[in-house]
Amino acid sequence: MADTAVAAARPGQRSPLPRPGTGTLVRAGVVAALLLFALFGLPQLLSLYYIDSMTQVAVWSMAALGLGVLVGRVGLVSLGQVAVLAIGAWVAARLLFATAQPYPLVLLEAGLITMLTGTLIGLPALRLRGLYLALITLMLAGAITVVLATANFPNGGHGFFGYNGSLVNIPPIRRPGVAGSDPAYFRYAVVVAALMFLLVLVHIRTRPGRAWAAIRQSEPAALAAGINTWFYKLWALALASFITGVAGGVLAGADHYLYSIDFPTYYSITLLAVVLMGGAYSLWGAIVAGLLWQLLPSLLQNWGVSADWLTILFGVGVLQVLTTAPAGLADQVPKDLARLGRLLRGLATRRTT
Amino acid sequence: MVGKRKHMSGARWIITAVAVAGALVAAGCGSSGGKSTTPSSTSGTKAPSTAAVSTSQCGTKAGAAATGTPIPLGVIVTNQPGTSFTDISNMAAAYFACVNANGGIKGHPIKYYIETEQTNPAQIAADAKQLVQTDHVVGIVGNTSIIECSIDSSYWQKLGYDIIDSGIAPECWSTPNSAAVNMGPRYSSDGAVQYALSKHVSKIVFDQSNVPGTGYIAAGPAALAGAAHVPITQLTENVPISDADSVAIKEVDDAGPNGAVVLNFTPPEALVILQAAQKLGLEDRVKLWGCSTPCNTDFLATSLGPKWNDKLFVNAELTPPDVTSTPTMKLYEAMLKQYGKAVSGGIGSFSQMGFTEAEIAVHALETITGPYTVASVNAAFKAVSNFNTGMLCQTWTYGSYSMHIPNNEDYTVTPDNGKMVTAQGCTQISSVDPQIKAYRSLAGTAPPAG
Amino acid sequence: MPSWQDFEPFIVSGLALGGVYALSGVGMVVLYQATGVVYLAFGAVGAMGALIAWSLINDAHTPGWVGWLVCVAFGAVVTLGYGMVFGPALAKRDPLVKAVATLGLTLVLFGLMDLLWTTSGGESRAITLPTDGGGFMIGQVQVDWTQVIGLAAGIVITVVTGAFLRYTKLGTAMRAMANDREITATLGVPVRRVEAAAWLGCGVLAGVAGVLLADLVALDATTLTFLVISSLAAALIARLRSITLTFAAAILIGLVHDLLTPINSLTNYRDMTPFVLAAVALLVLSRGRVLSRSREEM
Repeated sequence: MADTAVAAARPGQRSPLPRPGTGTLVRAGVVAALLLFALFGLPQLLSLYYIDSMTQVAVWSMAALGLGVLVGRVGLVSLGQVAVLAIGAWVAARLLFATAQPYPLVLLEAGLITMLTGTLIGLPALRLRGLYLALITLMLAGAITVVLATANFPNGGHGFFGYNGSLVNIPPIRRPGVAGSDPAYFRYAVVVAALMFLLVLVHIRTRPGRAWAAIRQSEPAALAAGINTWFYKLWALALASFITGVAGGVLAGADHYLYSIDFPTYYSITLLAVVLMGGAYSLWGAIVAGLLWQLLPSLLQNWGVSADWLTILFGVGVLQVLTTAPAGLADQVPKDLARLGRLLRGLATRRTT
Repeated sequence: MVGKRKHMSGARWIITAVAVAGALVAAGCGSSGGKSTTPSSTSGTKAPSTAAVSTSQCGTKAGAAATGTPIPLGVIVTNQPGTSFTDISNMAAAYFACVNANGGIKGHPIKYYIETEQTNPAQIAADAKQLVQTDHVVGIVGNTSIIECSIDSSYWQKLGYDIIDSGIAPECWSTPNSAAVNMGPRYSSDGAVQYALSKHVSKIVFDQSNVPGTGYIAAGPAALAGAAHVPITQLTENVPISDADSVAIKEVDDAGPNGAVVLNFTPPEALVILQAAQKLGLEDRVKLWGCSTPCNTDFLATSLGPKWNDKLFVNAELTPPDVTSTPTMKLYEAMLKQYGKAVSGGIGSFSQMGFTEAEIAVHALETITGPYTVASVNAAFKAVSNFNTGMLCQTWTYGSYSMHIPNNEDYTVTPDNGKMVTAQGCTQISSVDPQIKAYRSLAGTAPPAG
Repeated sequence: MPSWQDFEPFIVSGLALGGVYALSGVGMVVLYQATGVVYLAFGAVGAMGALIAWSLINDAHTPGWVGWLVCVAFGAVVTLGYGMVFGPALAKRDPLVKAVATLGLTLVLFGLMDLLWTTSGGESRAITLPTDGGGFMIGQVQVDWTQVIGLAAGIVITVVTGAFLRYTKLGTAMRAMANDREITATLGVPVRRVEAAAWLGCGVLAGVAGVLLADLVALDATTLTFLVISSLAAALIARLRSITLTFAAAILIGLVHDLLTPINSLTNYRDMTPFVLAAVALLVLSRGRVLSRSREEM
């Protein structure tokens, strides 16, 4: 992940994907092992309660990944990603009720339509910078939330909105045929998430990633180097919207029932908080963010601790991250562990001398 | 520069730690403060003979602590900022604690697993699985959640759980595996609209919060108004409401001087609308105001002034405690006092519902002769028939029907200088509501609780 | 289409609502101008102060004015505390980071409020001011004194703050810092002390707004904490620069929002008003202008 700090590529130069070195191979091996463990080990070890939580972790890790691309890679802060997630979920739910299309197709369509919507809505906002961009995304999210509250999520009804408010028995949103049970759907979600992470990784290792790194360093300098900053910012926005849209689709199947009250505006704020805490720059950070947001509440519930303490923790976490560890836990914990390792080694050598 | 940064980061950690510690201390102070925010509705008007009531009548063997193998029961309740139903589960827990201290169920204590949720479908589904697969509960008693019935009803059906709940979502009344002690938003709104219609208003404005199920809820009042040939306007408001003034003006303008405004909101939202109406002097611009059962709290009566006496009519799903001194009510109050430390709202419909649900469950469990399994416990729940809970207008029946609306006869109350008093005794919800008609054709009409 | 008479009462309530938005909007803009921080915790601080006031009035039976004074003091102390602790730490960071940090404070307060003031028993809380229940008629429309106070408070705060910034030494120092912090410091202005004054002032405003909003809107932690998003819309329309423009924008938002109420096809969407107006103002009307804070580019 560290080799993205490369100077801006010259325009027109097409370099192939870098050849993997030993470090990369080791990392890839670790990732593969963890993935296999998640797919085959976790469903055996965890109760259904925790498998359901881990499915949510997969979904929200994707949302965090999308936000991480914007915040960590390009430096665009969006305070409206949960609204984008809601759009993705809405589209997927509508398609799942209205058509008999296979699930992967529905997810793809949800991703693409969300990408289109997110890009169109976000396009004019790209002219703004930093703070104003963030605040305008908050405004747009607020507007979308109100529309959703009135339009509601599809629940099997007819018409464009697919919402029938008078139902006494609401049908559930279907899941893919191969992944109906909770453990199977968990595996499905993990596979989709892995694909999304791979998609981002490919972007990072190729031209867009270098362009984003240059923009993040200094937009004027990137412009001067001939990079079409507007185009790459748009690309990042499109990618983030696509991933979040797909995440919304997976959420629709995971939840079976969608309600507008589950996507309040302030969730976008909390999502930013966990992304910052996990580490916006690192892909691992997105997974940490998902764990913080979805696994911690389940754990706290079992320990009898109120969910309010989690809100407080996130608040403290944001303050802590912004003042002392800007790269988040994913960056800080390895550093802390490395420091601990050095300390222990120092103690060991001191004892022997 | 690095050293300075380290020093500052150390200071920041200290400050963070202090802040968290301060929060803990504040929470400690706050929870006792929170307790004392309960206006004690028992002061003044209540007959003080509660002192003589022994809570031991909740169980079968006074004073004998139950020590056998526990009977695990479970519950799922909403607990999120602005909407919390933990009083219901805590009161049920209090009831079970009382029973456990007085003989248990044939010597077996009840172990009550409480899962809270924040209106998140995945979390609610996970909670149900936790209760069944990890906690191995044999029965579900006391569920109170905005959406749980919708999410879990097929799961409960598949596994054979017949839950006793205080419902909100439509499925709590329209599925075979759920029977509620309350009437819920639709039938309670029916009750409020019915009362308004009985006062010969010329128009009804029905306003409700825009939470899941508005169409289902609106269908009841629409049917009632239609049958009475009274025009009805259906409105919804996004909650939380930030512009109560405009909501109140809109409602009053639409209803007209001989009309009625009927609200279906949680207590805080109903309060802001009513207070806005009062501030703007609008409360007398309509013939009367109505509200579904969430408004039936002394908190609301106290916060509203005397201007609402005989002006606001609230549908009450449960027997009003302030004007009743039956043995069951006295037991409820004594149990609340002795075992209900965690019930922050004190006497009121929330804790009453928890009491009633636990009461039914215990009554059913005591009839079981063999082992306590999912099959035997839920069969016992379903077999509850014409049970007099002492908290409802009618006797309560579960039964093997495809739908359940066992509580379909209610009071109407009105504020009277800070308390809720009865304005109309037990009145049946009209069969004009098609769901009520469907239930009565299955189960008949339950006899009144004498 | 409703008649003029149908709209009339909503003009009054819309003005009062606008005054409410102006209270928070002006407070945030002033602080932003002086310190570069968009104080998104404005609503949460006021909400918690109002809840503390409620507890004092209802449980400890203190007189009303003591409760409100405590609310204002709470706002001042928490805001000043935050500014003094986290201000220097984030001073060199861009305004976006500073704004996100205040979101951290918001979450902490929001969590605390739900822990300490539970709603598990159907509790509904209310703050009443002595001016509630009195009023006068303008034509057919009843106007309540507290509504007048809401609007008046917005006007007074805008005028007084404007005068303060223009005519006092401290105010001029704040404006200088908003323009260019470095040069102002070089000129010998005690930057830290001016900042502290700005934080304190904003905190007082948050407390005052807390009491008024708790009466005018609702005493509910979620409502009051996130009402700030709508007030922010007014501040954004003014591009976080002019308090007069913020006030005007707030009034416009309040009026449009309430005037949409009787229009049946739009009434369910009226809560979008602040967001749509802000988006239009920033995205459509400022075409061709790059928005940034003085010379600091993000």
